[in-house]
Amino acid sequence: MMLPLTPVAAESPMSDRKTKLDKIRAFVDKMPSLSTTVSKVLEICSRTDTAPNDLNKVISLDPVLTGQVLKLINSAYYSLVNKVTSLTRAIIMLGLNTVKNLALSTAIIRSVGQAKKSKALPIREFWAHSIGVGAMAKLLAAEQGLPIGEREEYFVAGLLHDLGKIPFGDEYTEVLTLAGRTQEPLVQVEQRLMDINHEEVGQMIASKWKLNPVITDAICHHHSPLIAVPDNRQLVATVALADFYICLFDIGFAGNRFPDEEQLAPLLALCDLEWEAVVKLAGAVDAEIKKAEIFLQI
Amino acid sequence: MIKVKFWGVRGSIPCPGPKTMKYGGNTACIELRFPEVNRHIIVDAGSGIRDLANHMLAHDLPKGPISTEIYLSHTHWDHIMGFPFFVPAYIPSTTIKVFGPVTYEDEPLEAVVGGQMKYRYFPVNMGELAGKIEYRRLKEEPLIDLGDGITLATTIINHPITALGYRFTFREAVFCTAYDTEPFRNLFVTDPEDPNYDELMALEGEEAAREQNQVLERFFHGADLLVHDAQYTRQEYHRGKVGWGHSPIEDAIATACKAGVKRLALFHHDPERSDDQLDALAQTYCAPDSNDPMEIFFAREGQEIIL
Repeated sequence: MMLPLTPVAAESPMSDRKTKLDKIRAFVDKMPSLSTTVSKVLEICSRTDTAPNDLNKVISLDPVLTGQVLKLINSAYYSLVNKVTSLTRAIIMLGLNTVKNLALSTAIIRSVGQAKKSKALPIREFWAHSIGVGAMAKLLAAEQGLPIGEREEYFVAGLLHDLGKIPFGDEYTEVLTLAGRTQEPLVQVEQRLMDINHEEVGQMIASKWKLNPVITDAICHHHSPLIAVPDNRQLVATVALADFYICLFDIGFAGNRFPDEEQLAPLLALCDLEWEAVVKLAGAVDAEIKKAEIFLQI
Repeated sequence: MIKVKFWGVRGSIPCPGPKTMKYGGNTACIELRFPEVNRHIIVDAGSGIRDLANHMLAHDLPKGPISTEIYLSHTHWDHIMGFPFFVPAYIPSTTIKVFGPVTYEDEPLEAVVGGQMKYRYFPVNMGELAGKIEYRRLKEEPLIDLGDGITLATTIINHPITALGYRFTFREAVFCTAYDTEPFRNLFVTDPEDPNYDELMALEGEEAAREQNQVLERFFHGADLLVHDAQYTRQEYHRGKVGWGHSPIEDAIATACKAGVKRLALFHHDPERSDDQLDALAQTYCAPDSNDPMEIFFAREGQEIIL
């Protein structure tokens, strides 16, 4: 996608920080809360011993979510011979984990999708970027030898890492244009022009939605993983590395075409990975993205 | 005619040794030959595929380049561990098509099968295989035309990751597989005293499990040979193996019987099961029954059957 290169008059702060912050706070306040269903799905899915009854109940409480999950199960991805028309049947036939993962991703994308208002970032491109980072983070987790049950959290953390960009209004176009022209990391330009960055705004949303500490850290520190608490640092660094890769190879678009190259070596060290190992995942990440894109077709 | 040969019949892990000499210690690998149309199919690439490879190098390669298709029931390690030792894959003139299901959470089939061929696990990398190898993910399909009059149907069976049962048909002959699988069962709370009990959910779960089991019965209908998971006895199954994705012998027999199967090969023997124990189980479960013409046996490495 090409950005219009409109001239920017000056690189001075557009207005004072307080006004900006008030505006963003007002937006975050007006964002819908994470629905009870989604919070419950998140809570139930993060347990390793989810009971079939609990999962079935919590999804069934929300008819729209139920419909979406069934639509995915009956989509071309599974192409089952007999149509599955109930969650109970889906759980018996495809197993608890499959239904759990489908419900989780569907629920999150739906809640964030409802909140998206900014015209600066085209929604499809934004989600393509987010899904790319989620898929890559999950593949990197596998590369680091994490068990399957723990990889889903990497996907969710990657999916949500740029949540903080959502409340930025039309003035964000100016930030994106300048970042494109000066080839600077986006987060620096945000700070200079708006006196606030998407990690800070992400923190506001994460606390409003009561997201768990690991995902919150991924949202707040993916441009500086060393600030994350030691327990979460490896996950945050993994999301950051995935973000670096997805930005570098222009998969989707979330404003950052020029990731900070000085970050690469420390990120690889934190993840205990070689860049060659990351690049080798290219084919796999494309396939993962294609697979995850079915969520956007709901 | 389909010529079936078992090259590996064991589940979980190879278990060679004096106690497994008769039935064999290699993991799942079954060879199908279709002599009239000169086609060759392999079901699963467990450790048994190594001996099959040697056989093919000695008998098939001298007649011309090797061309085969490998159908994986699923990608658990005991079903793919022999792949790096399938020597024809290293010969440039070889053509191999690998088919199999992939679980939603997992990477593409090529990455899952090739994951074991990384330097940290194995001295040869996937990319170094000289043969022409294609991978295709399989889903549940009612009918696939494999050419030369061979058709294939696939169905989802019940295992912790996506696993497929296969039904190959050639002229009059039908060959079926159903492993690794356990009977579909109601996963929901069925005890009305339990605070989480939900009557509708419990009833629907019961019905869904029953219907899924009927789908399998129809899938096996009239098969000349059904190779079915039979890792445990019912007693063993109920002592802590429920949900592991393997069938009790009794259930395998009952299902095959209802489906009008002609021959049932009990398969995927537990690695702890000795020859003597299998012989003893055969006395109990495989004795001819005048009311039921179905032939039942515990599959044995090296055994050949013509359909």
